[in-house]
Amino acid sequence: MRARLTTLSMVGPALVLFVVMLVVPVCLSLYLSLTDWDGYSANPAFVGLKNYVSLTHSAEAIRAGWVTLLIAAVGTVLLSVFGLGFALLVNGASRLNAFFRIVLFYPHVLSALVVGFLWSAVLGTSGVVNGWLTSKGAEVLPFLSDPKWALASLIAVLVWAGFGVNVVLYLAGLQTVSKDLLEAAHIDGASKRQTFFNVTLPALAPVVTVNLVLSLVTLLKTYDLVVSLTGGGPAGSTQTAAYLILWDSFHNNALGFGSAQSVVLMLITAGLALTVARLRARADRGVQG
Amino acid sequence: MARSVRKPGRKLGLLTSVVILVGAAGCGGGFSDDKGAAGDSTGEVRMLVNITPNLTKSYWEGLVKPFEDANPGVDVKIEAPTGSGVKDTLPQLLAAGNAPDVVETLMADKVLAPQMLDLTDQAWTKDTPLVEQASLDGKVYTVGVGQQAQSLVFYNKDAFIKAGISAPPKDLDELTAAMGKLKAAGYLPLQTAGDYVTGLQLLQLSDPSIATKYPDWYQQISSKQAKVGETMLPLLERYESWIKNGYVDKNALGLKDVGAQTNFLSGKAGMYIMGSWFVRTADDAKPKFDLGVFAAPTEAGQPSPGPQGVTMAAPYMVLKSTKQRDLSVKLVQWLVTDKTAVQSQLAQDGNFRKGYTDKLSPLGKQVQDILDQAPKQVAQGEGYGANTLPQGFNGEWNKAVQSLYTGKSAKAVATRIDSWMGSKS
Repeated sequence: MRARLTTLSMVGPALVLFVVMLVVPVCLSLYLSLTDWDGYSANPAFVGLKNYVSLTHSAEAIRAGWVTLLIAAVGTVLLSVFGLGFALLVNGASRLNAFFRIVLFYPHVLSALVVGFLWSAVLGTSGVVNGWLTSKGAEVLPFLSDPKWALASLIAVLVWAGFGVNVVLYLAGLQTVSKDLLEAAHIDGASKRQTFFNVTLPALAPVVTVNLVLSLVTLLKTYDLVVSLTGGGPAGSTQTAAYLILWDSFHNNALGFGSAQSVVLMLITAGLALTVARLRARADRGVQG
Repeated sequence: MARSVRKPGRKLGLLTSVVILVGAAGCGGGFSDDKGAAGDSTGEVRMLVNITPNLTKSYWEGLVKPFEDANPGVDVKIEAPTGSGVKDTLPQLLAAGNAPDVVETLMADKVLAPQMLDLTDQAWTKDTPLVEQASLDGKVYTVGVGQQAQSLVFYNKDAFIKAGISAPPKDLDELTAAMGKLKAAGYLPLQTAGDYVTGLQLLQLSDPSIATKYPDWYQQISSKQAKVGETMLPLLERYESWIKNGYVDKNALGLKDVGAQTNFLSGKAGMYIMGSWFVRTADDAKPKFDLGVFAAPTEAGQPSPGPQGVTMAAPYMVLKSTKQRDLSVKLVQWLVTDKTAVQSQLAQDGNFRKGYTDKLSPLGKQVQDILDQAPKQVAQGEGYGANTLPQGFNGEWNKAVQSLYTGKSAKAVATRIDSWMGSKS
């Protein structure tokens, strides 16, 4: 009995927090997704799977889903490539490297809203870059006014704002690469390229997995940078799933429909994160085997 | 050794806890159906307000100070939105069972009205601006401080003179011709932007001609006798031709509203369609050119000036769930009828009200003249009162109009908006 009480007293607080902060909101979202709640009414009507059926017919939601997946896929790759690349560049103990590490991490410290407004001042039609171009007699570049350019700009800014974390994770991973193995490769006459691909990268496999999953999950929830950089435009072309959830929920007073979108996004995020983690685990086992 | 905790009973206990917590959270909202408690003559009144660069929290606190001084023991607590605005904050507060007593910015519609106090029996509401137009099924839920004129075209008089335009255009053909002359004179004819501006400007421009051609446009739309896209098609086609002719900047969607205002006020553009709140910005900016304003033109053959799109400025509502009903109503009455409070709010956000013209700037007086000369005042976009379109229309319209810049035809835009309207019926 005492053992049970001890266990309960240790697990209890964490369990209560877990339930209140995670389980309840998820259950509530699930429940609301089956209603027509407008955010105000006292008694939302139960509509079954109607919101989910509407979701499959909503061209805007489907488009936002594809945009989100594109941002997540391209962004994840770029974050990992740039993260690892810069980590290798500043992986030394010099003061200059310490300075560059701070500089590389700095964008991540800024609020995404601030980052968005900052870059809109740089990339906007009357922004710094276009101001300079027009002063030289060149044409304005449609960084934020053309749908394809705007999406590319959004991804670029997301990568700029986020890759500092990847650098830090890869730097930590690089410290774990066995110096003996590196030395043995050097003695065996391996080139830097061969050493990287055959020694360093396999040793970083677990860090790569963590980076990929974290980046993927973060990018699938992209919202605040969309608000401040493109506002979902032009013509709704950079609306992400998270942006549309908030838009439908509060601008259109369709919290039931917004909740259905949240549930689907949550399931897709969990599914993709698990898939990536499993694929990476299989690849890691292959390397070790 | 501690024993394993994996027992079915514990799983059931956990599930029960979840169900109880979910139920508690679901029932915890402030969805009271009562009409609020009369409350005491003293105490706290919580007011959720819109915060903008003009309407700061300290401004609101200063505004209600005289009310607090005149009513000892009353504390008006100004609450800023915790979300991106009042519209998304209010549902959160309601769901949390923590609703304010008074809300500013929103207007009652069929979704909001059941949560709001019916003010119809309050005699003082009858003299407040637009109260009748904003009423819902004959009931007053929303009262406001003033009006915002919507269908205004601000223009650079110096650019007009340089382009050889002798008088402001009265119809849309004259407006298009003026754009051609402004372009030839080296000006960007019409300043626009991305964000909400693109769709808003076309709505503001359309108010006089649509309201003239279809005096009961909202009723025709809601009864499906007419479609938004079809009725707006001529204006969409005209706008499409402006993009093709370079009368608006093809890269304008990369600008935010502030950027567009700066461009116009720096003298680069000939015209800027915007609501009367722009007067305050323009007066503060003190542009180097002579700035004027004219009423949005009508279609050729229609009388000019046409009806003016107007919206209620600083709308207030009292929540039905309030525990301080009498004090809340008293506060709202004071906010919309006390001369000093009204004057302050009008001046602070560039709004208008008959009888309050003394302190208007020359540009403000021109707007007041336009309001006075308009044969009729009409709702715009999502509208209010009996004249409403589905929630989300303004945003959807904005996206649709922006797609004219990304290669969609006017007809495709009209079809898109009609399809969206169809999905909301």
